[in-house]
Amino acid sequence: MLVILVLLYSPEGIEALCSAVGVDHTDVRMLMLAWKMNAEKQGYFTQDEWHIGLKALRVDTIGKLKKRLSNLKEEVMKPENFENFYLYAFRYCLTEEKQKSIDIESICILLDLVLGSQFRPQVDTFTEYLKIQNEYKVINMDQWTNFFRFCKEISFPDLENYDTTEAWSLVLDNYVEWMKEKAKLAAA
Amino acid sequence: MSAPKKRNFQIEAFKHRVVVDPKYAEKTWKILEHAIHEIYNHNASGLSFEELYRFRILSTFVVGTFLNEVLRMRNWSDFNSRKQENCKRNAYNMVLHKYGEKLYAGLVMTMTSHLKEIAKSIEAAQGALFLEELNRKWTEHNKALQMIRDILMYMDRTFIPSTHKTPVHELGLNLWRDNIIHSSKIQTRLQDTLLELVQQERTGEVINRGLMRNIIKMLMDLCGSVYQENFEKPFLEVSADFYRGESQQFIECCDCGDYLKKAEKRLNEEIERVSQYMDVKSEGKITNVVEKELIESHMHRLVHMDNSGLVNMLVDDKYDDLGRMYSLFRRVPDGLSLIRDVMTSHIREIGKQLVTDPEKLKDPVDFVQRLLDEKDKHDKIISLAFNNDKTFQNALNSSFEYFINLNPRSPEFISLFVDDKLRKGLKGVSEEDVELVLDKVMMLFRYLQEKDVFEKYYKQHLAKRLLSGKTVSDDAERSLIVKLKTECGYQFTSKLEGMFTDMKTSQDTMQGFYAAMGADIADGPTLTVQVLTTGSWPTQSSSTCNLPPEILGVCEKFRTYYLGTHTGRRLSWQTNMGTADLKATFGKGQKHELNVSTYQMCILMLFNTADGLSYREIEQATEIPAADLKRCLQSLACVRGKNVLRKEPMSKDIAEDDAFFFNDNFQSKFYKVKIGTVVAQKESEPEKQETRQRVEEDRKPQIEAAIVRIMKARRVLDHNNIVAEVTKQLQSRFLPNPVVIKKRIESLIEREFLERDKVDRKLYRYLA
Repeated sequence: MLVILVLLYSPEGIEALCSAVGVDHTDVRMLMLAWKMNAEKQGYFTQDEWHIGLKALRVDTIGKLKKRLSNLKEEVMKPENFENFYLYAFRYCLTEEKQKSIDIESICILLDLVLGSQFRPQVDTFTEYLKIQNEYKVINMDQWTNFFRFCKEISFPDLENYDTTEAWSLVLDNYVEWMKEKAKLAAA
Repeated sequence: MSAPKKRNFQIEAFKHRVVVDPKYAEKTWKILEHAIHEIYNHNASGLSFEELYRFRILSTFVVGTFLNEVLRMRNWSDFNSRKQENCKRNAYNMVLHKYGEKLYAGLVMTMTSHLKEIAKSIEAAQGALFLEELNRKWTEHNKALQMIRDILMYMDRTFIPSTHKTPVHELGLNLWRDNIIHSSKIQTRLQDTLLELVQQERTGEVINRGLMRNIIKMLMDLCGSVYQENFEKPFLEVSADFYRGESQQFIECCDCGDYLKKAEKRLNEEIERVSQYMDVKSEGKITNVVEKELIESHMHRLVHMDNSGLVNMLVDDKYDDLGRMYSLFRRVPDGLSLIRDVMTSHIREIGKQLVTDPEKLKDPVDFVQRLLDEKDKHDKIISLAFNNDKTFQNALNSSFEYFINLNPRSPEFISLFVDDKLRKGLKGVSEEDVELVLDKVMMLFRYLQEKDVFEKYYKQHLAKRLLSGKTVSDDAERSLIVKLKTECGYQFTSKLEGMFTDMKTSQDTMQGFYAAMGADIADGPTLTVQVLTTGSWPTQSSSTCNLPPEILGVCEKFRTYYLGTHTGRRLSWQTNMGTADLKATFGKGQKHELNVSTYQMCILMLFNTADGLSYREIEQATEIPAADLKRCLQSLACVRGKNVLRKEPMSKDIAEDDAFFFNDNFQSKFYKVKIGTVVAQKESEPEKQETRQRVEEDRKPQIEAAIVRIMKARRVLDHNNIVAEVTKQLQSRFLPNPVVIKKRIESLIEREFLERDKVDRKLYRYLA
């Protein structure tokens, strides 16, 4: 245990851990682990986080960790936990101090990772839109939160109950408009 | 006791007076019947006062025969007083002794049979005599009735009320109605005759109005809606048919104006007719019929008539026709709103054409003048023809507001109009007229949605006017600023006033400068400086420019002087502005004074030390930005009459390897030559974009300030309400775009001024 601990204070250490556990470090389960560990910084686990996290997981061997990872996913997906995890995912990717937004490219990856399994069509179309448009170069926490609410509340792909006069983020207004244009062109 | 004889006598007398036998009733009835007939047939004016009195006495005797006598009486002398007394006593007695019923019944019977005879005589009358006979008989009946009522007053007052029978007078009217008016041979004939006469009058014939009046009054006097049933109702129906037909005829052959004249005439005729011989209550009803048939049924067709409808009238200022249309259409439901709607869409249409026609947009001053002309024209129409109707005024205003804001350049153009007026247009104009023009400008200003855009342009134009000294009247300038302040508040004009202050202060500064430094700089060029406070004046990007050494000296002296008296300030020369007067001597000795811009001065001074210079050399020496440099060189070398420089090659455009030479052969008939820079008065496309962008940038903080103000007060508010409140708060300056508002809200959320409510994500919450 001690040996592993030393290695873990760095991204390289995390990679080693990942290979030990048999999970790719870009796998969402690593993120879930981080959430469970309540890790502050992407790519790093502090000693405390590691200790507290492992205790929370009730894990003291690699083998147990491996097993734990598989039902961690289930735990995260529970509605009462998922929102928390979703918001954590965003904060986790803020690398600089005082950083409030994440660049478009990273957001797309993050969305795919975190929401891809649940809301595949929304994520695909939204990331497509984000890459085409050039009004926004970054996405902030408020917009991030809004998107999750969008996925939950708005019927897809017809977008019937979407009301632009409500307090949806402007980026979503633009996205919906773009979707509707696309649908019109497809129908024509 | 020897009384028996006396007692017998007494009993006899009493018996005589008290007992009334049925035969007695019959007898007295007959006497009274007779008397009443006599009254009826007699010419009442022949009765003397005494006789009348006698009859009044007789009124206590109500007997059928007496009545008949009265009804048939020809000669009053037949009527002797003893008979009267008898009748009087007997009728009175009849009622007293409970024979009133018989009396009343007899009255009814007698009068009825009498009236039946009268009916026959009326029926027998031929043609025009029919009405006359009817009228005569009616008059007589009334007179007789009056007498009879007087005579039978005792019965009227006692028997009739207690038995709830119809009083005598009313009874007489009812019997007339039932036996004459409603007689089968008279009723229809009467109605037809009356309607025929009305029709005749409508076609222009003259009828006996007095007779009509009497007959119709007769109908009105009778109880039970006789007038309404026997005259008014059929009259209205027939009139409706008549006017329906006539209106169809008119509409086929008349134009709108003529049709309305005819309609008005008919309406007035009907009103007059009613006042002459009908019940005043019929006026409203007949006018309704005329209005419906002549106006309401055809109003759409009239308004939209080709070549003569409302739009044509508006275009041709046909005040009379318009006034007529207004007062006629006012009478029918939705008449005025029809006129108003057509007028509104017409004005919007011409307005739209005006603001989208590229030809008309070429000259901004002309464009604005046309707007004012259109407004004046329609104001006049509303005042002269539409009774100054407020709803029409409002429609005009909303139309203007609509199309003025269709053109995004309206704010700029209005400012240019003002600029033109203040530069030269108002020269020599009286003070009142100046005020009139400025008030008109203010009126247009109020229509603008983007008042902040106007402010920007106004500031630019004002700056140019002030700096070039080209304003026609300081008072006019100030007057306009006061008006803008009244309209928009202090903030709008504080900066503008700052500009005026700077001008004044600069004058004082120059005086101080020359007083202090006068001796030192007496040899050099005369310098006049305007010191502008940044922030009050439109932002100018400072550009590079190397001033010639001859100027630099005195400029530095000024700078030193100024900074000496005002510590902590920074001065930067605005070389893109300013003018210079140069005294030039040309090849053949011609001397001229050239009035040029600062840039042009820098360029020309170079030729003091060189006869010819290349473009690149000039560029290097002056460091003036390329675009401006090219324009200046163009104005110095390529404009006929102003070409103090010569260019090789002689093309119109400036190329980078052109060469410039001092033009020794320059000629001008004027000593003073003003060389302006080739520049457009209207903004060029890129300049326009820049101004628009600046305006948008300026709006962002205003929107944010409004949002923060609102949220601070309300603490929690939903999205739609914020948008509505913000729009309301800013409407005196511009109309904010809801998308922009949303963006500002998001920005404020990011900067943690606001947050979304955690439970209801439609709400925003203020973060203290």
